[in-house]
Amino acid sequence: MTGNNLIQIALIILFLPLLGFTVTLFLAKKVKKIFLFETFILIVSFILSVALVFFKLNYFSQTTFTGEVNWINLGSISIDLGVMVDNIAVLMIFVVSLISMLVHLFSIAYMHGDKRYNRYFAYLGIFTFSMNGIVFTHNILMMYIFWELVGLSSYLLIGFWFEKKSASDAGKKAFIVNRVGDLGFFSGILILFATYHTFTFDKIFHQISLGVIPFNSEFWLTVTGILIFAGAIGKSAQFPLHVWLPDAMEGPTPVSALIHAATMVAAGVYLIIRVFPILTGNALEFIAIIGALSAFIPATIAITQNDIKKVLAYSTVSQLGYMVMALGVGAYKFAFFHLVTHAFFKAALFLGSGSVIHAMHHEQDIRKMGGLRKKLPLTYATFLISTLAISGVPLTSGFLSKDGILAGTFAFGNLTGQWFFAFVGFLVALVTAFYMFRLVILTFHGEPRDKEKFDHAHESPFVMVMPLVVLATLSIFIWYTPNPFNPEQGWFLSKWVKAPTIVTPQDARYSFLKSDEIKPEANVPTVQNVPAQTTQEINGSEEEVTFSKTYTEAMEHAHIPAMMLSLGLAGIGILFAFMFYQWKKLDPDKLAEKINPLYKLSLNKWYFDEIYDATFVALTLGISKLFAWFDNYIIDGIVNGSAALTKQVSNFSGKFDNIVVDGVVNGAAYLSGIVGLMFRRLQTGKVQTYIVLVVFSLVIILFIFKSF
Amino acid sequence: MNTNNLNYLVNSLYLIKPELVISAIIVLLVLVDLIMLKNKKLLPYISIAGLLIAGYFIIEHFETNSFAFSTSSSAGMLIVDPFGNFFKLLIVFASILVVLFSVTSVEIKNSLDRHGEYYALIFGMILGMMFMASASDLIVIYISLELVSLSSYVLAGFTKQSLRNSEASLKYVIYGGISSGIMLFGISIIYGITGSTNLYEINSLIQAPQVQSLTFLLAGILIFVGIGYKISAAPFHFWTPDVYEGAPIPITAYLSIASKAAGFALLIRFIKVTFIQSIDPEGFWHLLSIIDWKSFIIIISILTMTLGNFAALWQSNMKRLLAYSSIAHAGYLLLGLAVMSNEGITAILIYFVVYAFMNLGAFFVVMLIANKIGSEELDDYKGLSSSTPFLAVSLSIFLISLTGLPPTAGFIGKLYIFIALIDAKMIVVAVIALLNTVVSLYYYVKVLKHMFLDKSEKEIPAISTSYASAVLLIAILAPVLVFGIYFTPLVDLAKSSITLLGF
Repeated sequence: MTGNNLIQIALIILFLPLLGFTVTLFLAKKVKKIFLFETFILIVSFILSVALVFFKLNYFSQTTFTGEVNWINLGSISIDLGVMVDNIAVLMIFVVSLISMLVHLFSIAYMHGDKRYNRYFAYLGIFTFSMNGIVFTHNILMMYIFWELVGLSSYLLIGFWFEKKSASDAGKKAFIVNRVGDLGFFSGILILFATYHTFTFDKIFHQISLGVIPFNSEFWLTVTGILIFAGAIGKSAQFPLHVWLPDAMEGPTPVSALIHAATMVAAGVYLIIRVFPILTGNALEFIAIIGALSAFIPATIAITQNDIKKVLAYSTVSQLGYMVMALGVGAYKFAFFHLVTHAFFKAALFLGSGSVIHAMHHEQDIRKMGGLRKKLPLTYATFLISTLAISGVPLTSGFLSKDGILAGTFAFGNLTGQWFFAFVGFLVALVTAFYMFRLVILTFHGEPRDKEKFDHAHESPFVMVMPLVVLATLSIFIWYTPNPFNPEQGWFLSKWVKAPTIVTPQDARYSFLKSDEIKPEANVPTVQNVPAQTTQEINGSEEEVTFSKTYTEAMEHAHIPAMMLSLGLAGIGILFAFMFYQWKKLDPDKLAEKINPLYKLSLNKWYFDEIYDATFVALTLGISKLFAWFDNYIIDGIVNGSAALTKQVSNFSGKFDNIVVDGVVNGAAYLSGIVGLMFRRLQTGKVQTYIVLVVFSLVIILFIFKSF
Repeated sequence: MNTNNLNYLVNSLYLIKPELVISAIIVLLVLVDLIMLKNKKLLPYISIAGLLIAGYFIIEHFETNSFAFSTSSSAGMLIVDPFGNFFKLLIVFASILVVLFSVTSVEIKNSLDRHGEYYALIFGMILGMMFMASASDLIVIYISLELVSLSSYVLAGFTKQSLRNSEASLKYVIYGGISSGIMLFGISIIYGITGSTNLYEINSLIQAPQVQSLTFLLAGILIFVGIGYKISAAPFHFWTPDVYEGAPIPITAYLSIASKAAGFALLIRFIKVTFIQSIDPEGFWHLLSIIDWKSFIIIISILTMTLGNFAALWQSNMKRLLAYSSIAHAGYLLLGLAVMSNEGITAILIYFVVYAFMNLGAFFVVMLIANKIGSEELDDYKGLSSSTPFLAVSLSIFLISLTGLPPTAGFIGKLYIFIALIDAKMIVVAVIALLNTVVSLYYYVKVLKHMFLDKSEKEIPAISTSYASAVLLIAILAPVLVFGIYFTPLVDLAKSSITLLGF
């Protein structure tokens, strides 16, 4: 197994789903069972990604492989396309392939009987292909192309039941809101290309480390970073563009699990991870603020929502906000760690909700559920494990990753004196534990509130339960670290995921991210790129340094207090949830009345949709109305007012129009015709004419050229 | 004859292995035809096999740079170099497709008893075209040109049943005869002045300043008539529409690609080898000032494309329309030569590969339709999109590519020609070419309009295509789309193929 083999495997994994999509789409109507082919493709692709992860992490965990081809070579413009296989990419591809495969299996039962059954699987195929592209790309142009492709597949799947107006509206909303973010992303790419004449990440990083920055100003480097981040704001549904994600729940539930929880929405976080080395301190701070707002606002909304999928959707936005905030405060490793753990437990939660909805005959309102624990024991168990994970209860994966992020905000507070992010982080941890347990209790505990539906409910078939079990199992700590209280001791963080070398100018970074006296060697891009970390590893393998010694020490100090605090807060959240909904010691309705304005705010989702309707949508409509008014009154007014003059002029102008303008336009067409006819006239069909013409033209040519 | 000379000849034979294979296949085809009077199924297989072997030999020695049948150390009758090999490969490729077309063509099937001579004549043409691509001696040029012409005269009138076939063939003979006569006159003048027929020797002889420029101009232009007739450049194109319309479709497709490619190979080699003075580091040629080839080619190319495009506006017959379109394309291709630089030649090579796919594809669809409805009239294409969407969509893609719109390969071909023109600061010419493309859009889209928007008065039967034809069509269609997006291999191939021996 060599680097080339790994790249070949990566390419196969990348293109297999495309094959599945093409075949499934074209044979959708002819072959009833073609969805099995698509599912089979995904199983193969999962097996390959297991092989890829295994070989890469076991034998080449310090090496990055890239394979590229020259796509366009026009004069000074040269564009390469290629794939990059590093630890982050293989871990990500494992997550994507696994969840995609499980969702395929789940959908076999869940979507059964749908009239566009095969087409649904084809769409899943194109989505998986595009997502794989995002994961493997080694340049930002391909990133953008696949970025748009996942956007497209997301649009198709949200609006899959397009007969329902709300579904097709939600699809449109997702597409348009994402365009706003992509506009920024695209501008960022353009600035990068204009400055570096390449799209390849490595080459861009290398040039920045040599001090080449856009427009020779650190300000513009910050702007570029923020513009690229705008793409992530859209795709990862961050504040203020988060409004599309809850609506996207109109799509089939397995799609919500795959696209709108585990993978595509995480692509935004993945993008920031990829471009992390070029982000300046200011850009990172901006990112952290957006992340904190996105973590907080949706968490407060989730408390009052009654649609099981909407609660999960808001919690997704909130958790993504966590990851983004983690990146913003420099907790790079934990952001990626949380991305992975969140993908598993959130997919489990969504599929679990799918199982519930399936059992309840497409009832999504948790007020009408309750007591389902007895009817759906396996779904309940897996749902509970995942809920524990998302709430950050020990022995789960979520505890490990969330704790790391909280420690990161804590350390950030320690180092810079800004405690805002730590405050938000811990507050959200409390709220998350509360609303997630509210969801579990209302759905599974207590007495059934809709007796009829409850009686018909039954545990889902094997293909639906199996994915739940797999995903819930993956939400337990043991896969990531042997010590359930210290993720740093695990292989995931100590061996596989390393923070990258930052390339931005020293004085543009956070003070604690400045390089130590031992300057790591410049990251020279080669085909087999050895990251700079290796040099450090040889120097002192006992002491792992992330970014700088100061930062590493701060993280170590923050670990224990952050853990204790988050444990306590999660406990309080869970306790309150039980007090309110299980034991009924407290009445949620009374509380809601007491703090009515806040309750309304949360219930109405902070009025974001209303605000956007009143501002952007209204503005757009207003502008169009303004133009219409301008047209009707000003233009028409001028026209009417100058009627007299026009009358005089019109005679002349009419003639001018008829004779000169039309004459020119028609004349050009007419002339073309005439010329054509003339040429055609030459073609008499008589060979003697042709000969004469040849000899005649020969003489003319000679005459023209004889002077030379 | 001493042993040295004998070795020389044997070595030269090694260099022309592909041509020897083709010659052997001609004999084999005639023999098989004689022995198996009833069974003609074998002939296409032999043809394809022979072409594949020849293609293999060409690829094997692609990078060779050598004279064959040398008369001295710096001159020979033939040249084997990447440039020539590129065109030979293109010819072999086009021939394979045309043999496959012939198998499916109803027109050709109708004259089953003469299949032996049909394939033998095609191979005669191939042999001639291969020699055209590597000729460096005026005598070889003339003979190879005649070999191609004679074979194609017969092929153009191959299906004797129809009157328009025979008429086309006869016109072709008369017109071709006169053109080659004029060319021969030019050759004799050059021989009279220089005493040599070898292009390399002529080149070194006319470097001297006292050469009679008017006589040479006359000779050069007379020779151009012969070649211009092969590539159907205006004003020597008059035979093209009539012959294209009259000939069986596979032969029309063949004439529009292969013999045009061979003609271009010959023209480029003739002008570059005979008149070159020096090449500057940027790849621009400096020609001897005896003949102002640059202005000459520019005038001819503008004339050719304008005439082709405008005359095509009025055509109502698909074959005639494609005939005029192929004249126009010869004009675009000539622009690549008019640049007089290596970049321009690269553009021509890229364009030819692309052109081979899209033009053969278009003719193939026209043939599949004609097989069923027996007509190539545009009016009979009405409503084709609803009865046979597969063919309608394929034809549309080929026509869009011929227009030169992205994301098809035709766009890439035109793009490289235009870049070469702009790099050579020939902006005005580029604008004229661009306007011509706009004109061409009209008649290509007219076909699309007939297929997609117009309703037919009469009931159109769905045109069924066999699986083999569908696969072949997709195989031609795929590169047109793929090269429109990923064209680096094509560009690399072209860049590595512009080496002419001695430069």
